Amino acid sequence: MKITLDGKQIEVEEGQTVLDAARENDIYIPSLCDNPHLSPFSGCRLCLVEIKGQRGYAPSCSTIAREGMEVKSDSPKLRKIRIRILELILSEHPSACLICQEKENCDEYKSTIRKVGETTGCVLCPNNGRCDLQKVADALGVDSIRFPAIYRDIEVNKKDPFFDRNYNLCILCGRCVRVCHEIRGTSTITFVNRGSDAVIGTALDKTLQDAGCQFCGACVDVCPTGALTERSLKYEKIADETKETICPLCSMGCRLDVGKYEGRILSSQPSEDGKVNQGQACVKGRFLLKNTVYSGQRIKRPMIRRKKDLEPVSWDEALDFVAEKLKGFPGDKVGFIQSSQVSCEDMFVFEQFVRDVLKSDQIAAESENSVYGILKELADESGVILPMNHKIKEISQADTIFLSGADIVSSHPIVWLAVLKAVKTGAGLIIAAPFEFSLSRYATLDLRIKPGSEAMLLGYLAKQVLGREDLSEKETVKGLEDLKKSVEDLRIEDVLKLTGIPNEETLTHAEKLFRPDRSVVLLLGAGFAGKEKIKNTLAAGWNLARLTRGRLFLLGSGVNERGQFEIRKIYDKKIDLSEFIRKAAEGKIEALYMTGPITLAVKFDPAFLVVQDSYWSDMAKKAHAVFPASTFAEDECSFVNTEGRVQRSGSIIPHYEESKPDWWIISRLAQKMGARSFSFKKSSDIFNRIEKEIPAFTGITNVSFTKEEDLFIKEEQGDKIGFLPAVYDRTVSSGEKRYPFLLVQDGGYDSYRNLDLTKENKGFAKIRETGIILLNPEDAVVLELKNGESVKINSESGESHAVVKISEAVPAGIVKTHFLRRLSPDSIFVSMLAVLPVNIKRGE
Amino acid sequence: MENKIKQSGNRQNELVHILHEVQERFGYIPPERLAEIAKKLNISESEIYGVLTFYKAFSLEPGGEHTVTVCMGTACHVRGGQQITDEMERKLDIKVGQTSADGKFTLETVNCLGCCAIGPVVTVDGKYYSHATMKNIASILKEY
Ligand code: SF4
Ligand code: SF4
Ligand code: SF4
Ligand code: SF4
Ligand code: FES
Ligand code: FES
Repeated sequence: MKITLDGKQIEVEEGQTVLDAARENDIYIPSLCDNPHLSPFSGCRLCLVEIKGQRGYAPSCSTIAREGMEVKSDSPKLRKIRIRILELILSEHPSACLICQEKENCDEYKSTIRKVGETTGCVLCPNNGRCDLQKVADALGVDSIRFPAIYRDIEVNKKDPFFDRNYNLCILCGRCVRVCHEIRGTSTITFVNRGSDAVIGTALDKTLQDAGCQFCGACVDVCPTGALTERSLKYEKIADETKETICPLCSMGCRLDVGKYEGRILSSQPSEDGKVNQGQACVKGRFLLKNTVYSGQRIKRPMIRRKKDLEPVSWDEALDFVAEKLKGFPGDKVGFIQSSQVSCEDMFVFEQFVRDVLKSDQIAAESENSVYGILKELADESGVILPMNHKIKEISQADTIFLSGADIVSSHPIVWLAVLKAVKTGAGLIIAAPFEFSLSRYATLDLRIKPGSEAMLLGYLAKQVLGREDLSEKETVKGLEDLKKSVEDLRIEDVLKLTGIPNEETLTHAEKLFRPDRSVVLLLGAGFAGKEKIKNTLAAGWNLARLTRGRLFLLGSGVNERGQFEIRKIYDKKIDLSEFIRKAAEGKIEALYMTGPITLAVKFDPAFLVVQDSYWSDMAKKAHAVFPASTFAEDECSFVNTEGRVQRSGSIIPHYEESKPDWWIISRLAQKMGARSFSFKKSSDIFNRIEKEIPAFTGITNVSFTKEEDLFIKEEQGDKIGFLPAVYDRTVSSGEKRYPFLLVQDGGYDSYRNLDLTKENKGFAKIRETGIILLNPEDAVVLELKNGESVKINSESGESHAVVKISEAVPAGIVKTHFLRRLSPDSIFVSMLAVLPVNIKRGE
Repeated sequence: MENKIKQSGNRQNELVHILHEVQERFGYIPPERLAEIAKKLNISESEIYGVLTFYKAFSLEPGGEHTVTVCMGTACHVRGGQQITDEMERKLDIKVGQTSADGKFTLETVNCLGCCAIGPVVTVDGKYYSHATMKNIASILKEY
């Protein structure tokens, strides 16, 4: 379709607005309230244009282009109107600087700073230099204002973490309100009052946190003025350089633009054209990236313990020391733990080192307990191939979404955005979880099922689908007969009883959402059930997805958990995690070398301990050798996100102090121990090897830092796509005699290597409610506990402390926490798998 | 798409309807009910608050026994409507829209009561007082 804009013929897409078309063709139409990702608002009226054959002026941001339309974006008349409008906006905005004649001088030398009051000028505005309002004022050349200036004198709101709200600078464009409602689904902020009293605010003026804010920062990013500004940037200069990176703080792998000033990282913002995140991110990537890199916990230099204390030494000395020591242990007495948050390159070199140089296979990794690892195990047992690659974007096209095992708003934020999009266009959302999720209100069916009954529910749904559909063409599919048999005797009474779903109608409603004409997506994470249960849930989920020709989307955890899983696929011999922990507990592992987080609940004091990490931890403090590893920011890294997307990020700052990339450390150590290869010079040398040696990476060459490519893990092809043997077991998880409550964790991945982000940033700890357990009101009565009381939590394997928050979001018998350390031996690998029987007692 | 618009449209209507019912029942909208309404309609409290504060008819505070209304229409304004309002605020020790501590008076303003000739106009529970001045405010209030 074509329209004429300012005499030029331009190509426009169906349904595109005139303003968007102009933007695409680099024709500038001033606008303030519009944002390409948001619905048109037509509030500011700056974007008015003339349309031939139409009387008056039309806002181009809400005018859909029609074939042959003739539009004029500029004329003396239009300019006059726009200036008038801008004057009106500025009369309620501190604007002295915008129109001050000394402006240029001032920007440069701050010479005339005292000429205008502090509250009325750009000079002290944190937004100065990155302000849309300034840009528009410049473009229109406004230099005086004919209306009396009004200063609203609203107190700056600093009650919440991360950003300040100064509504004296607000122009009521509504962008923040729309992004919060339309894209994030939180609807934390709204227009309050009407007319001249209108302001942006929350219900009853609550804090953002109390109003349900995710602290995603999306509102800050769309705000065209300094009304919403990141607190830590307030007195900072404007970035003089921008670099791109992949966020390492969860399995989404968002692309972020990192702003730097004189070499230091200032800020991180979601990349507009990030393939995964498209201009969105979450609190971690948006506000905590800098903390991650510059944490006070960073390990600065190699250290070894020759006698009593750890002492700093050169890399050479440290490596020699470790090489010598490791030689002294028989192979089967040395254990290795590999982090799932390091790059593919680091992982590959580590595996090679352990397997080829030390001839050992005692290398354990978090990904064995991941959704991928568990499902793969099942698939291998029954000779089935199952695809794990999916695009998050495609979730938004689903008609039915079944979610279980992860509160995705915080654990998989970008998946949530896609789910929200689907829901907003009419998709049915079923949430099956033991407690209320943060945005459960969007669910068509919010099934508060008993923990561990997920598989049964899925099995029952499969039975209904089987009973309904004509399955002749699928009769041959492997495992179908077995599936039929296994779900045959799932009777509705039992399902209702065991899941705790209140009535038959609810189940029938759920069934309807799996009608054959609907495209189905199942989103399954590893949370809230325990490993055995999750195994069943995943199998049942896969089967239901197969039956409905839908898709199973696995919600993995670490930034490179998927990459680790793919790399380790080629090794036949892998040590089982529980076996590893058992061996450690029994003292059969005498030396341990670890690159990943570890919180041991079992007593474990290896005779020789090497910790290679970016941050200090209890383990590092008692290690015999400490190797400072660089972070993602200091080297080129390849990561595979939960979609199976291979992404690469460049180094954005030099190596911190004496730290080195993991692959470098291991390579040098390997050479010290006599290996001839391992002469890698840079990370891309290793990636080339990965491409050659690991089938999943075949053909993925030259992964570049640019965002234009869609590169995915190569998956096994074949006709072995069948059903999995699933156990639709008839038990639910619950407490027991001595430990009557079931503790579930809804997170646990707010760490990067050994850095606990909730410890690093107080604001973050507050919004994640660390150290708090949610307790049902009934249980609170029984335990005689009040809000805010301290309790001791005991499990078979450990003790922890928390503060009580009484909430109906959890059912009786279940307590929920974000993450408690030191409770389970499983927490040797910080994972979300834990559900833990505990008892709760008052006490510090 | 259409479905979606219909749904949200319906929800909006339902919300206004519910707010009316609550207001009718309690005489105002008790702030602590917001959470309940939010749950019922599956929307956020802020969304409700936005709608609630958009309409002047809804109030988050219990009304006083009597409603005092000061006209702020153009005619009354030029004859000192603003001063009357200010004086009322001072006398009752509240701002417009609030209720006095003893629960007796709620203060409101309106735009033109349609009798500009006798302005500035003040009404109490619908009873009109013409040519209000700073001085006779006290005696007006004393009647109640
Ligand atoms: S918001 Fe923009 S125009 Fe307003 S004071 Fe800040 S920099 Fe200046
Ligand atoms: S930070 Fe995100 S959730 Fe919070 S108000 Fe802004 S857009 Fe809404
Ligand atoms: S706070 Fe910013 S984005 Fe929100 S309405 Fe005001 S100016 Fe617009
Ligand atoms: S969603 Fe994940 S990858 Fe994206 S910014 Fe947040 S933590 Fe980083
Ligand atoms: S951008 Fe079109 S009206 Fe504001
Ligand atoms: S302006 Fe007061 S009655 Fe008309």
